[in-house]
Amino acid sequence: MAGSVLTTTPARTGPPTVVPPPVSRLRRALADRRTRFGLFNAAPVVIYLAILFLYPIFSTLLLSLKGEKGGWTLHWYADAFQGANLEILLSTLRISAETSLLSLVIGFLLASAVSRLKPLWAGLVMLVVVVPHFISALVRTYGWIILLGEHGVVNNVLTDLHFPGAPFQLLYNEVGVVIGTTSVMLPYTVLLLYAVMRGVDRRLLAAAASMGAGRITIFRRVYLPLVAPGLVNAGVLCFILCLGYYLTPALMGGPKQTMVASLIDEQVMKQNQWNGASALGIILLLLTFAGLLLLRLLKSAGEAYRKRGATS
Amino acid sequence: MIGLRSTLTGRIALTVFSALILLFLALPIVVIVVTSFGNDAFGSFPPESWTLSWYKQLFADGSKWPAALSLSALVAALTTVFSLILGMTAATALVRSELPLRSAVYGLVLAPLVIPQVVVALGLFLLFEPAAMLGSPIAIALGHTVLASPIAVMILMATLKGIDERLEDAAASMGASRLTVARRITFPLAMPGLVAAAIFSFITSFDEFFISQFLSSVDTVTLPVQVFNVLQYDVDPSVTAVSALLIAVAVVALALVGVVRRLGGAGRQDGLLPTETTVGLPAGSETS
Repeated sequence: MAGSVLTTTPARTGPPTVVPPPVSRLRRALADRRTRFGLFNAAPVVIYLAILFLYPIFSTLLLSLKGEKGGWTLHWYADAFQGANLEILLSTLRISAETSLLSLVIGFLLASAVSRLKPLWAGLVMLVVVVPHFISALVRTYGWIILLGEHGVVNNVLTDLHFPGAPFQLLYNEVGVVIGTTSVMLPYTVLLLYAVMRGVDRRLLAAAASMGAGRITIFRRVYLPLVAPGLVNAGVLCFILCLGYYLTPALMGGPKQTMVASLIDEQVMKQNQWNGASALGIILLLLTFAGLLLLRLLKSAGEAYRKRGATS
Repeated sequence: MIGLRSTLTGRIALTVFSALILLFLALPIVVIVVTSFGNDAFGSFPPESWTLSWYKQLFADGSKWPAALSLSALVAALTTVFSLILGMTAATALVRSELPLRSAVYGLVLAPLVIPQVVVALGLFLLFEPAAMLGSPIAIALGHTVLASPIAVMILMATLKGIDERLEDAAASMGASRLTVARRITFPLAMPGLVAAAIFSFITSFDEFFISQFLSSVDTVTLPVQVFNVLQYDVDPSVTAVSALLIAVAVVALALVGVVRRLGGAGRQDGLLPTETTVGLPAGSETS
């Protein structure tokens, strides 16, 4: 990207007298040592990502639009929205929604509990949140498989407590997938929410209380609006991360919990069906972009709302 | 809520609930470590008797684990080198220079963190398959660098922002060349950040599964792929020991980061880990 700027500048097409001002400004900027230094340093990462990140995604896009006998087609996309594939797409959305909702609720409670702890304790609790995040999700999923088995710890404890209905079937169904995936996603939501909650000015809550607002009113009218951007951010990002998630659903789910990532894996590795897999990948990509766009729109809407509130 | 007197029952409820969530996060890890020393690898918890035999089996003759371990270590080492080179140059460009299209470059660098990993893995597969590079450690490391470099860039950007630029200017004003400034001033001050970036790049690659899965061939398989295959298809009780080793690697790595930060004088109230820069998400709106 930075490279393209470099190459376009010397190409002065018109006579020198009608060089438009933006070009000359760019040339002056390029002549600046600091700028050249920046371009020189930005080049490796930009070139690297262009070859190993942008180009592969672009070729995935091309492949998803190519027909079996050449020419362009949309029928890989039509396939993706039909029959079993459509069901997998829908269950991906369902599991992602369930997981991000659960992570958001649990993360909200934990983060708000941590944000009122003393710094030392908060640091220790956050350590318990952050350390698992850096331990392989594969290993943590395996831990859940041991825990949730028919004679696993969870079922044993529930049976010992004479919990009605125990032992439960907790593996190879949606309960297992949502539990496992939530434990993988939870550190994200807790960290994102904790960062927002730490920034909440406690005096606002005290001020509301001093003016006679009740607990619920303060929560609804003061606290929630202050942390709402963080909640939206954490929820949408969690959802996006779930969409393309593979490990836990593949290991802990049954046939009804197949996610798009598993389908892509199967189509590439077992069926050599690269075009179909590419179309599914592009659909995931578009869903991700839609999520990020939604975040951006909500953010600017929130800013506009706050600005209006500030002026009135 | 904060700043309000809360009821006793409310506080107890929240405390108990928080403890349960922490248990929820820690339990899968604890259970692996404990089970790996238990006599009955898939059996009851806590185990009835203790043994080290699963660890011994890892290195027994005919075991597939040592090959997978050395491949993973090689790939992770290569990834660390690539990611540090990209991270240092990119962070310098983004923090210490006038860069046209700065926000576009920054967005591109962070993009791999939010793009679904399946898409990245599929794209890399389509890139390396025709080149007959599947199973090559270089190819897997190049793929892992896509995921590791954004983390390195974020850590090193935070590091560079924390270094007073006037120190560099002062050295330069006394006649030090750009290279001398980098070598004698910036580099030593950035050391804790560089070590952290290296460690996070290493474990990102060491634990990475999906890209490895797409880029490995039948006889070159990384450790996580091998663990996954065992969990899905075979029954090999020593997988618990491997998992416990993976946990140990991650914990040691995090402890190292903590020590280096302490030594580097990172006295900020950030907790023990630089969470904002290591959680691996472009948190919020830092795109300007």
